[in-house]
Amino acid sequence: MDPERTGPGALSWRLSSHPITLLTFLAFRVSSLLVYLFGLLLFTDSLVMIFIATILLLAADFYYLKNIAGRRLVGLRWWNEVDPSTGDSHWVFESSEPGTKVINATDSRFFWLAIYAQPLLWFVLAVVALFRLNFIWLPLVAIALALTITNSLAFSRCDKFSQASNLAGSAFSSGNLAGSIASNMVGRFFSR
Amino acid sequence: MASHGGRDYQNPLLENDDDDDLIDPDDADINDFDDPLQQQQHPHHQPSSSSRGAPPLTGNIGSSGGGSGNTQSAWTSRIPGEDRRAPTNTIDETVWETLRRDLLAVWSKMREVLYPRYLFGGTMFDGGVQDGGGLRGAYASLRGAGLAGARDELAGLAGRVMDPESLLSHNNMTPGLRDWDLWGPLVFCLLLSALLSFKSRGDQKAVVFSGVFAMVWIGEAVVTLQIKLLGGNISFAQSVCIIGYTLFPLVLAATLSAFSLHWIARIPIYLLLVGWSLAAGVSILGGSGVVKNRVGLAVYPLFVFYLGLGCLCFIS
Repeated sequence: MDPERTGPGALSWRLSSHPITLLTFLAFRVSSLLVYLFGLLLFTDSLVMIFIATILLLAADFYYLKNIAGRRLVGLRWWNEVDPSTGDSHWVFESSEPGTKVINATDSRFFWLAIYAQPLLWFVLAVVALFRLNFIWLPLVAIALALTITNSLAFSRCDKFSQASNLAGSAFSSGNLAGSIASNMVGRFFSR
Repeated sequence: MASHGGRDYQNPLLENDDDDDLIDPDDADINDFDDPLQQQQHPHHQPSSSSRGAPPLTGNIGSSGGGSGNTQSAWTSRIPGEDRRAPTNTIDETVWETLRRDLLAVWSKMREVLYPRYLFGGTMFDGGVQDGGGLRGAYASLRGAGLAGARDELAGLAGRVMDPESLLSHNNMTPGLRDWDLWGPLVFCLLLSALLSFKSRGDQKAVVFSGVFAMVWIGEAVVTLQIKLLGGNISFAQSVCIIGYTLFPLVLAATLSAFSLHWIARIPIYLLLVGWSLAAGVSILGGSGVVKNRVGLAVYPLFVFYLGLGCLCFIS
């Protein structure tokens, strides 16, 4: 589990226990950036098409990371639930029970690298777009930042929680009772 | 406790007796405290261990170990009855199952839009769904009762259109709409912007695209804010989700514009499509608990939003 070890945690996809998931995940992560950066040079000269392609790739990446990659690579997942009577939404952070799922060191290292590198890269691109006064791209970069940062924060929250309690209770609702009921989680209950 | 405190849905922690709650909050389930239904469902529950209020602390210590096991079957049997979502632990499911579930969720939302229950009678009468449902039911009554039936049906339709107050008294949000996603808003917003910029002049394409794109998202945010401020019990993302899905008829209008429909033909068709959007939006958002007598106020910005986009489709 120590990502610093060179042996089992090395950044080579051959060491992964879910190579297809990992490669698809990395492909989605990188492709939106590549299309944004080089789309205008390589494929088409239409701004609109690049915009659409980038947004769709970002959305696909968001979905894949949230619902599939996070679950299969590191056993974490999060979602939002709405209480129908009040309309309050709350977040649920879930992690797999320790012991039931063996998390490959390579997988988790790739995962966390990709999850934190992406918002940084988009932030750099946002600064560049701001200084070059490319205002037409600013909404796109803002959406990209929002999506990637959301995923980063949510997954780091998931992970923090899973490490904080080895009792494996993983219902974390930000302190509201109705939320806890709705979450269907029967783990630990934080009565904050 | 470490071995029990899991989030295994099938075998929840409920091995404790109810009165352990105060002494061992780590394992307490919130259902112990709040849900009166559970007490009713299980009359064999000892009244002394009732979780309502604060049980005496002294009672907890003795029973904290012994409660294990004997109530477990009762707990596992009572969990599925009140669960709002499927109580399965889906963290190990296959990719295909995940995709399938989410696609089905998207489809269930689309169906609400394609088939606005507000117009077709599902919402006003609680039995509306059972008696053949909306359009088919209306068609059946048309065939059965002939002219008189048709007149009744039209009168009913008009009455429903004229009377949004009674609509909003029902909480008619279906379970499928409670968990929101942003696929619908994203895809329809992109389609709308792309189709509207399709016909514009070459140098204006990007401007039209980004303008429509921003307008849709800002419009959704403003309409949602209005509903929230009027006391609606709907979450922000949920409302954006619903409004995004109801853009579908307007996407049809934009498609027609992209195919250069004649402007005279556009007027009735686009009015119809805007009406469809509005009907879908009202029928879904209707149950969001807006304060009585302010319903028109909540629906009006929605109407302006759809009408504005319809006008954009018209002039493009």
